[in-house]
Amino acid sequence: MNCHEIERQLDAYIDGELAQAESEALQSHIAGCAACSQRLAERQSLGRLVRQAPYYPAPDRLRLAVQAARKPSRLTPTVLAWAASILLAVSVGGVMIAGARRARTAAESSASIANDIVGGHVRALMGDHLFDVRSTDQHTVKPWFLGKLDFSPPVKDTASVGFPLIGGRLDYIAGRPVAALVYQRRQHTINVFVWPETQPAPAAAESLRGFQVRHWTRDQMAFWAVSDLNAAELDEFATALQQ
Amino acid sequence: MLPHLDAAFNYARWLTRNDADAEDVVQDACVRALRFFSSLRDDNGRAWLLSIVRNTWYSRFPKRKSEQAIELDDTADERPGTDLDPEARVIQLQAVERVRLALEQLPPDFREVVVLRELEGFSYKEIATIVDIPIGTVMSRLARARERLIPILRSSGQPIGEARELS
Repeated sequence: MNCHEIERQLDAYIDGELAQAESEALQSHIAGCAACSQRLAERQSLGRLVRQAPYYPAPDRLRLAVQAARKPSRLTPTVLAWAASILLAVSVGGVMIAGARRARTAAESSASIANDIVGGHVRALMGDHLFDVRSTDQHTVKPWFLGKLDFSPPVKDTASVGFPLIGGRLDYIAGRPVAALVYQRRQHTINVFVWPETQPAPAAAESLRGFQVRHWTRDQMAFWAVSDLNAAELDEFATALQQ
Repeated sequence: MLPHLDAAFNYARWLTRNDADAEDVVQDACVRALRFFSSLRDDNGRAWLLSIVRNTWYSRFPKRKSEQAIELDDTADERPGTDLDPEARVIQLQAVERVRLALEQLPPDFREVVVLRELEGFSYKEIATIVDIPIGTVMSRLARARERLIPILRSSGQPIGEARELS
Protein backbone atom coordinates (compact mmCIF):
# COMPACT_ATOMS: atom_id res chain seq x y z
CA MET A 1 0.00 0.00 0.00
CA ASN A 2 1.25 3.48 -0.79
CA CYS A 3 0.37 6.79 0.86
CA HIS A 4 -2.20 7.63 -1.78
CA GLU A 5 -4.12 4.41 -1.18
CA ILE A 6 -3.93 4.97 2.58
CA GLU A 7 -5.40 8.41 2.13
CA ARG A 8 -8.35 6.94 0.26
CA GLN A 9 -9.07 4.34 2.92
CA LEU A 10 -8.28 6.28 6.05
CA ASP A 11 -11.86 7.34 6.80
CA ALA A 12 -13.22 3.84 6.28
CA TYR A 13 -10.46 2.64 8.60
CA ILE A 14 -11.26 4.99 11.48
CA ASP A 15 -14.98 4.33 11.00
CA GLY A 16 -14.39 0.60 11.35
CA GLU A 17 -15.62 -0.10 7.83
CA LEU A 18 -12.53 -1.91 6.48
CA ALA A 19 -12.19 -5.66 6.37
CA GLN A 20 -9.67 -7.25 8.73
CA ALA A 21 -7.00 -7.81 6.05
CA GLU A 22 -7.26 -4.26 4.70
CA SER A 23 -7.12 -2.85 8.21
CA GLU A 24 -3.95 -4.75 8.97
CA ALA A 25 -2.27 -3.69 5.72
CA LEU A 26 -3.12 -0.10 6.50
CA GLN A 27 -1.82 -0.35 10.06
CA SER A 28 1.51 -1.78 8.97
CA HIS A 29 2.04 1.03 6.47
CA ILE A 30 1.11 3.72 8.99
CA ALA A 31 3.48 2.29 11.59
CA GLY A 32 6.38 3.09 9.26
CA CYS A 33 5.14 6.35 7.72
CA ALA A 34 5.32 9.62 9.62
CA ALA A 35 3.08 11.55 7.20
CA CYS A 36 0.30 8.97 7.29
CA SER A 37 0.45 8.52 11.05
CA GLN A 38 0.21 12.31 11.43
CA ARG A 39 -2.83 12.28 9.16
CA LEU A 40 -4.39 9.49 11.21
CA ALA A 41 -3.79 11.37 14.49
CA GLU A 42 -5.42 14.43 12.98
CA ARG A 43 -8.48 12.47 11.88
CA GLN A 44 -8.84 10.81 15.28
CA SER A 45 -8.53 14.15 17.02
CA LEU A 46 -11.18 15.61 14.73
CA GLY A 47 -13.47 12.69 15.51
CA ARG A 48 -13.18 13.30 19.25
CA LEU A 49 -13.94 16.97 18.73
CA VAL A 50 -16.93 16.46 16.46
CA ARG A 51 -18.48 13.96 18.84
CA GLN A 52 -18.66 16.80 21.37
CA ALA A 53 -21.00 18.75 19.09
CA PRO A 54 -24.38 19.52 20.64
CA TYR A 55 -26.86 16.65 20.57
CA TYR A 56 -30.39 18.01 20.36
CA PRO A 57 -32.88 15.77 22.14
CA ALA A 58 -36.56 15.98 21.21
CA PRO A 59 -38.44 18.60 23.23
CA ASP A 60 -41.23 17.29 25.49
CA ARG A 61 -43.80 19.21 23.50
CA LEU A 62 -42.89 17.24 20.38
CA ARG A 63 -42.92 13.95 22.27
CA LEU A 64 -46.43 14.65 23.51
CA ALA A 65 -47.63 15.69 20.06
CA VAL A 66 -46.27 12.49 18.51
CA GLN A 67 -47.75 10.38 21.26
CA ALA A 68 -51.13 11.97 20.64
CA ALA A 69 -50.91 11.27 16.91
CA ARG A 70 -50.17 7.62 17.52
CA LYS A 71 -52.93 5.29 16.47
CA PRO A 72 -53.63 1.95 18.15
CA SER A 73 -51.94 -0.85 16.24
CA ARG A 74 -54.06 -2.65 13.70
CA LEU A 75 -55.37 -6.17 14.18
CA THR A 76 -54.07 -8.80 11.80
CA PRO A 77 -56.71 -9.07 9.09
CA THR A 78 -56.88 -12.84 8.63
CA VAL A 79 -60.28 -14.38 8.09
CA LEU A 80 -59.90 -16.59 11.15
CA ALA A 81 -59.18 -13.63 13.37
CA TRP A 82 -62.32 -11.84 12.24
CA ALA A 83 -64.76 -13.22 14.76
CA ALA A 84 -62.32 -12.62 17.55
CA SER A 85 -61.76 -9.06 16.28
CA ILE A 86 -65.45 -8.32 16.35
CA LEU A 87 -65.81 -9.64 19.88
CA LEU A 88 -62.75 -7.68 20.93
CA ALA A 89 -64.01 -4.54 19.20
CA VAL A 90 -67.30 -4.77 21.06
CA SER A 91 -65.66 -5.14 24.45
CA VAL A 92 -62.95 -2.58 23.70
CA GLY A 93 -65.67 -0.22 22.51
CA GLY A 94 -67.45 -0.56 25.85
CA VAL A 95 -64.27 0.08 27.75
CA MET A 96 -63.46 3.03 25.50
CA ILE A 97 -66.83 4.68 26.10
CA ALA A 98 -66.40 4.28 29.86
CA GLY A 99 -62.83 5.52 29.55
CA ALA A 100 -63.89 8.52 27.49
CA ARG A 101 -66.53 9.42 30.04
CA ARG A 102 -64.01 9.19 32.85
CA ALA A 103 -61.51 11.22 30.81
CA ARG A 104 -64.10 13.90 30.21
CA THR A 105 -64.96 14.36 33.88
CA ALA A 106 -61.25 14.32 34.72
CA ALA A 107 -60.68 17.01 32.07
CA GLU A 108 -63.51 19.12 33.46
CA SER A 109 -62.24 18.93 37.01
CA SER A 110 -58.72 19.67 35.80
CA ALA A 111 -59.99 22.80 34.03
CA SER A 112 -61.74 24.01 37.16
CA ILE A 113 -58.60 23.38 39.24
CA ALA A 114 -56.56 25.40 36.72
CA ASN A 115 -59.04 28.21 37.24
CA ASP A 116 -58.64 27.95 41.02
CA ILE A 117 -54.86 27.92 40.64
CA VAL A 118 -54.83 31.14 38.64
CA GLY A 119 -57.31 32.63 41.13
CA GLY A 120 -55.05 31.68 44.04
CA HIS A 121 -52.04 33.16 42.30
CA VAL A 122 -53.79 36.47 41.58
CA ARG A 123 -55.27 36.68 45.09
CA ALA A 124 -51.89 36.16 46.68
CA LEU A 125 -50.30 38.88 44.57
CA MET A 126 -53.16 41.38 44.88
CA GLY A 127 -53.79 40.92 48.57
CA ASP A 128 -50.05 40.95 49.10
CA HIS A 129 -50.38 37.84 51.22
CA LEU A 130 -47.75 35.91 49.38
CA PHE A 131 -45.95 34.48 52.37
CA ASP A 132 -46.68 32.83 55.67
CA VAL A 133 -43.05 31.87 55.85
CA ARG A 134 -40.50 33.99 54.07
CA SER A 135 -37.21 32.25 53.51
CA THR A 136 -34.90 31.21 50.73
CA ASP A 137 -33.91 28.13 52.72
CA GLN A 138 -35.77 24.93 51.84
CA HIS A 139 -34.90 23.59 55.29
CA THR A 140 -36.85 26.45 56.85
CA VAL A 141 -39.79 26.37 54.47
CA LYS A 142 -40.45 22.62 54.56
CA PRO A 143 -40.68 22.24 58.38
CA TRP A 144 -42.93 25.28 58.56
CA PHE A 145 -45.75 23.22 56.99
CA LEU A 146 -45.48 20.57 59.73
CA GLY A 147 -48.62 20.51 61.84
CA LYS A 148 -50.44 22.82 59.44
CA LEU A 149 -51.11 20.23 56.73
CA ASP A 150 -51.76 16.49 56.82
CA PHE A 151 -48.92 15.95 54.36
CA SER A 152 -45.36 17.14 53.96
CA PRO A 153 -44.80 18.86 50.60
CA PRO A 154 -41.49 18.31 48.83
CA VAL A 155 -39.65 21.63 48.85
CA LYS A 156 -36.84 22.09 46.38
CA ASP A 157 -34.71 25.16 45.91
CA THR A 158 -33.99 25.82 42.23
CA ALA A 159 -31.84 28.92 42.79
CA SER A 160 -28.92 27.22 41.06
CA VAL A 161 -30.85 27.26 37.78
CA GLY A 162 -32.13 30.81 38.25
CA PHE A 163 -35.44 30.28 40.07
CA PRO A 164 -34.78 30.99 43.76
CA LEU A 165 -37.25 29.82 46.38
CA ILE A 166 -38.48 32.83 48.34
CA GLY A 167 -41.08 31.41 50.70
CA GLY A 168 -44.32 29.54 51.23
CA ARG A 169 -47.86 29.81 52.60
CA LEU A 170 -51.04 27.87 53.15
CA ASP A 171 -53.70 28.24 50.51
CA TYR A 172 -57.02 26.66 49.57
CA ILE A 173 -57.57 24.99 46.22
CA ALA A 174 -60.56 22.86 45.23
CA GLY A 175 -61.86 23.07 48.77
CA ARG A 176 -58.80 21.71 50.50
CA PRO A 177 -55.77 23.22 52.25
CA VAL A 178 -52.66 22.98 50.09
CA ALA A 179 -49.03 24.03 50.28
CA ALA A 180 -48.12 27.03 48.14
CA LEU A 181 -44.41 27.46 47.41
CA VAL A 182 -43.23 30.75 46.04
CA TYR A 183 -40.36 31.13 43.59
CA GLN A 184 -38.99 34.10 41.78
CA ARG A 185 -37.57 34.80 38.33
CA ARG A 186 -36.51 38.42 37.85
CA GLN A 187 -39.70 40.46 38.54
CA HIS A 188 -41.97 37.45 38.07
CA THR A 189 -43.49 35.41 40.85
CA ILE A 190 -44.16 31.70 40.44
CA ASN A 191 -46.61 29.94 42.72
CA VAL A 192 -46.42 26.17 43.02
CA PHE A 193 -49.40 24.50 44.64
CA VAL A 194 -48.85 21.02 46.04
CA TRP A 195 -51.18 18.43 47.52
CA PRO A 196 -51.43 14.65 47.73
CA GLU A 197 -52.85 12.95 44.63
CA THR A 198 -53.16 9.20 44.27
CA GLN A 199 -54.25 9.26 40.59
CA PRO A 200 -51.23 9.96 38.39
CA ALA A 201 -52.15 12.34 35.56
CA PRO A 202 -50.20 13.17 32.41
CA ALA A 203 -48.25 16.41 32.53
CA ALA A 204 -50.21 19.31 31.08
CA ALA A 205 -49.57 22.87 30.03
CA GLU A 206 -52.04 25.63 29.37
CA SER A 207 -52.40 29.33 29.34
CA LEU A 208 -55.30 30.94 31.16
CA ARG A 209 -56.20 34.62 31.38
CA GLY A 210 -52.66 35.54 30.42
CA PHE A 211 -51.03 33.21 32.95
CA GLN A 212 -49.06 30.09 32.17
CA VAL A 213 -50.10 26.99 34.08
CA ARG A 214 -48.13 23.73 34.28
CA HIS A 215 -49.38 20.59 35.94
CA TRP A 216 -47.76 17.26 36.75
CA THR A 217 -47.92 14.53 39.36
CA ARG A 218 -44.97 12.92 41.02
CA ASP A 219 -44.51 10.65 44.01
CA GLN A 220 -48.25 10.79 44.71
CA MET A 221 -48.31 14.56 44.82
CA ALA A 222 -50.05 16.91 42.40
CA PHE A 223 -48.04 19.96 41.36
CA TRP A 224 -49.52 23.07 39.76
CA ALA A 225 -47.16 25.86 38.78
CA VAL A 226 -48.55 29.22 37.70
CA SER A 227 -46.92 32.47 36.68
CA ASP A 228 -47.05 35.43 34.34
CA LEU A 229 -43.61 34.27 33.16
CA ASN A 230 -43.28 33.25 29.49
CA ALA A 231 -44.06 29.66 28.54
CA ALA A 232 -40.47 28.64 27.79
CA GLU A 233 -39.10 29.80 31.12
CA LEU A 234 -41.93 28.26 33.09
CA ASP A 235 -41.25 24.98 31.28
CA GLU A 236 -37.62 25.29 32.25
CA PHE A 237 -38.65 25.84 35.84
CA ALA A 238 -41.09 22.91 35.83
CA THR A 239 -38.37 20.67 34.43
CA ALA A 240 -35.90 21.81 37.06
CA LEU A 241 -38.41 21.14 39.82
CA GLN A 242 -39.09 17.63 38.55
CA GLN A 243 -35.46 16.62 38.51
CA MET B 1 -40.92 5.21 16.81
CA LEU B 2 -40.84 7.13 20.08
CA PRO B 3 -37.54 5.54 21.13
CA HIS B 4 -36.01 7.11 18.01
CA LEU B 5 -37.53 10.51 18.54
CA ASP B 6 -34.35 12.03 19.97
CA ALA B 7 -32.34 10.77 17.00
CA ALA B 8 -34.99 12.09 14.62
CA PHE B 9 -34.99 15.49 16.26
CA ASN B 10 -31.22 15.75 16.52
CA TYR B 11 -30.88 14.94 12.83
CA ALA B 12 -33.66 17.36 11.86
CA ARG B 13 -32.16 20.07 14.07
CA TRP B 14 -28.84 19.74 12.27
CA LEU B 15 -30.54 19.74 8.87
CA THR B 16 -32.74 22.76 9.58
CA ARG B 17 -30.49 24.53 12.07
CA ASN B 18 -33.44 25.83 14.04
CA ASP B 19 -35.82 24.38 16.63
CA ALA B 20 -39.13 25.41 15.09
CA ASP B 21 -38.50 23.86 11.65
CA ALA B 22 -36.99 20.78 13.24
CA GLU B 23 -40.09 20.24 15.37
CA ASP B 24 -42.41 20.71 12.39
CA VAL B 25 -40.43 18.35 10.22
CA VAL B 26 -40.21 15.60 12.83
CA GLN B 27 -43.88 15.83 13.66
CA ASP B 28 -44.79 15.57 9.97
CA ALA B 29 -42.34 12.74 9.52
CA CYS B 30 -43.87 10.85 12.43
CA VAL B 31 -47.35 11.20 11.00
CA ARG B 32 -46.06 9.84 7.68
CA ALA B 33 -44.20 7.10 9.47
CA LEU B 34 -47.36 6.07 11.30
CA ARG B 35 -49.28 5.95 8.04
CA PHE B 36 -46.72 3.61 6.51
CA PHE B 37 -46.09 1.69 9.64
CA SER B 38 -47.11 -1.58 8.00
CA SER B 39 -44.40 -1.12 5.36
CA LEU B 40 -41.72 -1.12 8.06
CA ARG B 41 -39.68 -3.83 6.43
CA ASP B 42 -36.70 -4.48 8.67
CA ASP B 43 -35.71 -4.03 12.26
CA ASN B 44 -33.81 -0.80 11.74
CA GLY B 45 -36.55 1.58 12.78
CA ARG B 46 -34.12 4.37 13.57
CA ALA B 47 -32.60 4.55 10.08
CA TRP B 48 -36.06 4.20 8.56
CA LEU B 49 -37.48 7.08 10.60
CA LEU B 50 -34.49 9.29 9.80
CA SER B 51 -34.89 8.66 6.09
CA ILE B 52 -38.50 9.84 6.43
CA VAL B 53 -37.34 12.91 8.33
CA ARG B 54 -34.94 13.68 5.52
CA ASN B 55 -37.55 13.23 2.78
CA THR B 56 -40.02 15.36 4.70
CA TRP B 57 -37.51 18.16 5.04
CA TYR B 58 -36.48 18.19 1.40
CA SER B 59 -40.01 17.79 0.05
CA ARG B 60 -41.11 20.76 2.11
CA PHE B 61 -38.22 23.04 1.42
CA PRO B 62 -36.60 21.94 -1.84
CA LYS B 63 -34.78 25.24 -2.09
CA ARG B 64 -33.04 24.76 1.20
CA LYS B 65 -30.48 22.64 -0.59
CA SER B 66 -28.80 25.88 -1.55
CA GLU B 67 -27.61 27.22 1.71
CA GLN B 68 -28.25 30.42 3.62
CA ALA B 69 -25.86 32.23 5.94
CA ILE B 70 -25.10 30.82 9.36
CA GLU B 71 -26.70 32.19 12.47
CA LEU B 72 -24.39 33.03 15.32
CA ASP B 73 -26.87 33.84 18.05
CA ASP B 74 -27.76 30.28 19.03
CA THR B 75 -26.72 29.15 22.46
CA ALA B 76 -24.75 25.95 22.51
CA ASP B 77 -25.64 22.87 24.46
CA GLU B 78 -23.05 22.09 27.05
CA ARG B 79 -23.18 18.36 27.23
CA PRO B 80 -19.80 17.37 28.57
CA GLY B 81 -17.60 18.45 31.36
CA THR B 82 -19.50 19.28 34.56
CA ASP B 83 -16.69 17.74 36.58
CA LEU B 84 -13.92 19.79 34.99
CA ASP B 85 -12.30 22.71 36.71
CA PRO B 86 -13.80 26.05 35.64
CA GLU B 87 -10.96 27.02 33.35
CA ALA B 88 -10.94 23.72 31.49
CA ARG B 89 -14.71 23.96 31.24
CA VAL B 90 -14.55 27.34 29.53
CA ILE B 91 -12.01 26.04 27.07
CA GLN B 92 -14.14 23.00 26.40
CA LEU B 93 -17.27 25.08 25.95
CA GLN B 94 -15.39 27.09 23.40
CA ALA B 95 -14.40 23.90 21.63
CA VAL B 96 -18.02 22.74 21.56
CA GLU B 97 -19.10 26.08 20.17
CA ARG B 98 -16.39 26.05 17.52
CA VAL B 99 -17.42 22.56 16.46
CA ARG B 100 -21.06 23.59 16.25
CA LEU B 101 -20.25 26.60 14.08
CA ALA B 102 -17.87 24.61 11.89
CA LEU B 103 -20.51 21.94 11.28
CA GLU B 104 -23.13 24.54 10.48
CA GLN B 105 -20.81 26.04 7.89
CA LEU B 106 -20.52 22.78 6.01
CA PRO B 107 -22.79 22.29 3.00
CA PRO B 108 -25.82 20.27 4.18
CA ASP B 109 -24.86 17.16 2.19
CA PHE B 110 -21.57 17.05 4.05
CA ARG B 111 -23.00 18.08 7.39
CA GLU B 112 -25.57 15.32 7.46
CA VAL B 113 -23.15 12.46 6.85
CA VAL B 114 -20.92 13.74 9.66
CA VAL B 115 -23.89 14.02 12.04
CA LEU B 116 -25.18 10.57 11.11
CA ARG B 117 -21.74 9.01 11.51
CA GLU B 118 -20.31 10.83 14.54
CA LEU B 119 -23.38 11.75 16.58
CA GLU B 120 -25.67 8.85 15.71
CA GLY B 121 -23.02 6.21 15.05
CA PHE B 122 -24.63 4.83 11.91
CA SER B 123 -22.67 2.47 9.65
CA TYR B 124 -21.90 3.45 6.06
CA LYS B 125 -24.60 1.07 4.89
CA GLU B 126 -27.22 2.67 7.12
CA ILE B 127 -26.18 6.17 6.08
CA ALA B 128 -26.43 5.07 2.44
CA THR B 129 -30.04 4.00 3.09
CA ILE B 130 -31.01 7.18 4.92
CA VAL B 131 -29.45 9.60 2.45
CA ASP B 132 -30.20 7.37 -0.54
CA ILE B 133 -26.70 7.36 -2.01
CA PRO B 134 -24.24 4.50 -2.76
CA ILE B 135 -21.93 3.36 0.06
CA GLY B 136 -18.91 4.55 -1.91
CA THR B 137 -20.38 8.04 -1.96
CA VAL B 138 -20.92 7.91 1.81
CA MET B 139 -17.22 7.17 2.21
CA SER B 140 -15.99 9.91 -0.11
CA ARG B 141 -18.45 12.45 1.26
CA LEU B 142 -17.34 11.78 4.83
CA ALA B 143 -13.71 12.09 3.80
CA ARG B 144 -14.34 15.39 2.02
CA ALA B 145 -16.44 16.72 4.89
CA ARG B 146 -13.65 15.97 7.33
CA GLU B 147 -11.06 17.51 5.01
CA ARG B 148 -13.14 20.68 5.06
CA LEU B 149 -13.75 20.69 8.79
CA ILE B 150 -10.09 20.68 9.71
CA PRO B 151 -9.17 24.09 8.21
CA ILE B 152 -12.47 25.65 9.36
CA LEU B 153 -11.80 24.55 12.94
CA ARG B 154 -8.15 25.58 12.80
CA SER B 155 -9.01 29.05 11.53
CA SER B 156 -11.40 29.42 14.47
CA GLY B 157 -8.47 28.79 16.81
CA GLN B 158 -9.20 25.16 17.56
CA PRO B 159 -6.07 22.99 17.77
CA ILE B 160 -6.38 19.57 16.12
CA GLY B 161 -4.01 16.68 16.60
CA GLU B 162 -1.73 18.66 18.92
CA ALA B 163 -0.93 18.43 22.60
CA ARG B 164 -3.36 21.24 23.49
CA GLU B 165 -6.35 19.49 22.04
CA LEU B 166 -9.02 18.52 24.56
CA SER B 167 -10.38 15.04 24.52
